[in-house]
Amino acid sequence: MIGFAGLSHLGISYSLATAAKGFEVVAFHSSAGLVADLGRGKFPIEEPGLAELFTANQKRILFTASAADLSACELVFVSLDVKTDDANRSDTTPLCELLRQITPHLPKGCTLVLLSQVNPGFTRKLCENFLPQSLAVKVFYQVETLIFGRAVERALHPERYMVGAADPDQPLPELFRRWHASFGCPVLVMRYESAELAKIAINLFLVSTVSTTNTLSELCEKIGADWSEIAPALRLDKRIGPHAYLSPGLGIAGGNLERDLMTVKQLAGEHGCEAGVIEAWLLNSRYSRDWVLRKIHALVLANKEDPTLVLWGLAYKPNTHSTKNSPALALIDALAAFTKMAYDPQATLDAKTYPRLRLASSPLEACRGGDALVVMTPWPEFAKIEPAEIQESMKGNVLIDPFGALNETACVEAGLAYHRLGVSIGECVL
Amino acid sequence: MIKHHRPSPAHPKRVVILGASGFVARDLARHLAEPGIETITVGSASVDLLSPESVAQLRSVIRAEDSLVITSALTPEKGKDERTFMKNLTMVAHICALFENARCAHVVYLSSDAVYDDSTALVSETTPRTGLGLYGLMHAAREEMLRFASNNAKIPLCVVRPCAIYGAGDTHNSYGPNRFMRTAIRDRKITLFGNGEERRDHIYIKDTSRFLALCLEHQTEGAVNIVTGNAVSFYELAQRIIRLCPHQVQLECLPRATPITHRHFDTSLRLKEFPSFHCTPLEVGLAEAFNGLQSRS
Repeated sequence: MIGFAGLSHLGISYSLATAAKGFEVVAFHSSAGLVADLGRGKFPIEEPGLAELFTANQKRILFTASAADLSACELVFVSLDVKTDDANRSDTTPLCELLRQITPHLPKGCTLVLLSQVNPGFTRKLCENFLPQSLAVKVFYQVETLIFGRAVERALHPERYMVGAADPDQPLPELFRRWHASFGCPVLVMRYESAELAKIAINLFLVSTVSTTNTLSELCEKIGADWSEIAPALRLDKRIGPHAYLSPGLGIAGGNLERDLMTVKQLAGEHGCEAGVIEAWLLNSRYSRDWVLRKIHALVLANKEDPTLVLWGLAYKPNTHSTKNSPALALIDALAAFTKMAYDPQATLDAKTYPRLRLASSPLEACRGGDALVVMTPWPEFAKIEPAEIQESMKGNVLIDPFGALNETACVEAGLAYHRLGVSIGECVL
Repeated sequence: MIKHHRPSPAHPKRVVILGASGFVARDLARHLAEPGIETITVGSASVDLLSPESVAQLRSVIRAEDSLVITSALTPEKGKDERTFMKNLTMVAHICALFENARCAHVVYLSSDAVYDDSTALVSETTPRTGLGLYGLMHAAREEMLRFASNNAKIPLCVVRPCAIYGAGDTHNSYGPNRFMRTAIRDRKITLFGNGEERRDHIYIKDTSRFLALCLEHQTEGAVNIVTGNAVSFYELAQRIIRLCPHQVQLECLPRATPITHRHFDTSLRLKEFPSFHCTPLEVGLAEAFNGLQSRS
């Protein structure tokens, strides 16, 4: 029997993926309401494939609000997502509370695997200061690489597992090994601190690529180049690779990358390491996030009094309802003085807390009477809408599509003045 | 971080401008007079900020409901040495002493983009203020002196950092649009260093005044750059001015003494906090300034 403690995004995805591999699973969370919902297949998160995964595997998973049910588990994953505050710092209080709840019910000698996003040093402190030695619990940290919107795919088909251990030379416990084997991917065992930092390292490499892409795509806009012509050449470079994050965007968002930047900044400060690049990435992200705001001012607000602005997308990326650090919300805040219509397929806002914002029930309804349309989240469904219908619904013709979610040629043919990241429009400044 | 103590703009009760004869002070007084805002200007002839007596003199002038705009400074033409630096600090030290036992409703300090050094490609309000020489360091030090004093006195302080300001009433003659226009009119010549490759931002005086008035109306607290966000080369600037001239103008290029540096600004903070404010396009501002200068000459 395999246990999961903490049923947020991470726990829900991993517990169902484990059941899908044929294991009997006990999934614990202290909220009885959440547990009841999960038992009925009602999820607090939106993920492609999640409902199907539940339907196919519900007979092998028990959702429970009783920590005592974990006492039958030889292997227990602690899978509560660690939330961040407004300054992107982790708050491990709920995680520590969860550990306090489950510890009395852990069977002696069981394997405890921490999946939650913790700072380097947390796992060793957990072993040394938190868990009673008499329990003889074998503690591991395993790097999670969940991606919002692709959580099921990533949980079922991981690229590799990175496991932090007290002694990396010792073989992993038998059930933990069997669990790894069921996913058929490489397993890299290392010391706790290395695994904890490995997760951060992955995210920082992503940030460096994102920042470089955004820097160069802005340069493209200024010198008459088109980043979309350059990116394919980079993907063919073995040192960069076909899956590199080479699409320009509106900075980093979602919370996880920002958390890791803050963690490294804090650790570098504590230990006296040069980490000026972190501040540069954060600055680059804030600047990239405001690309749309600068465009709106130059293209719309400087020319028209009291325009109506239309926003498609509120989530920080497609296939998620999460709006954590979303550029759309930052834009709405910055445009508080202007009339705004917004639509998102999943994310919702309390429109009353945002001045002059109305939410529409469809993309075209949002466009009605608008002076400019901004596609803040590149949901695939937006690409299916005919540009001619957009133009007909709108009063103005400015279309700001940073991610290139719509077909540029079709939009221009429909009479829309199209603007996207990484490509210069009109005269370039040399 | 910007805070508008009056989210809905309202006229300040009375504005006291220190630095009566300066370029910005005169234009701001003109701008505030248009909607009938009571404004008084205080110059060095009546209150010499270098003198310790200025503290008492200011106390007799400034009321609790006043908004105080500080534009007084000895600019680089008056000296770039440590004595000028110290004099500039002394002037603000006396204003800070005033706040020890007198209150006003709001303080606006006209600083400068010289607080930022010239190594940063894209400057924003968060760029470290390491200062462009003693003049830049002076403004950075004055900002901190005023921040400390206004904090203690619980008076909201707004620091406004303009780039180079141009316009017909300019009292300075530094390298840039005003000098180019003057020499184009008077000598039919514009002199560039190198080929005028450096890109700089230039703000029109009327935009500066409009922006300062907005800060006063909102009782804004915090630091903000007043720049256009569109930097152009000195060469392009010279060409635009030549096109405004009814006569032939010679473009002279002298060997440059310093390496080429550019300065661009990220205007995101201003766009967010002052969304209704838009800068006059450069060609419009230059044409107005040129006509003003021509009629004066």
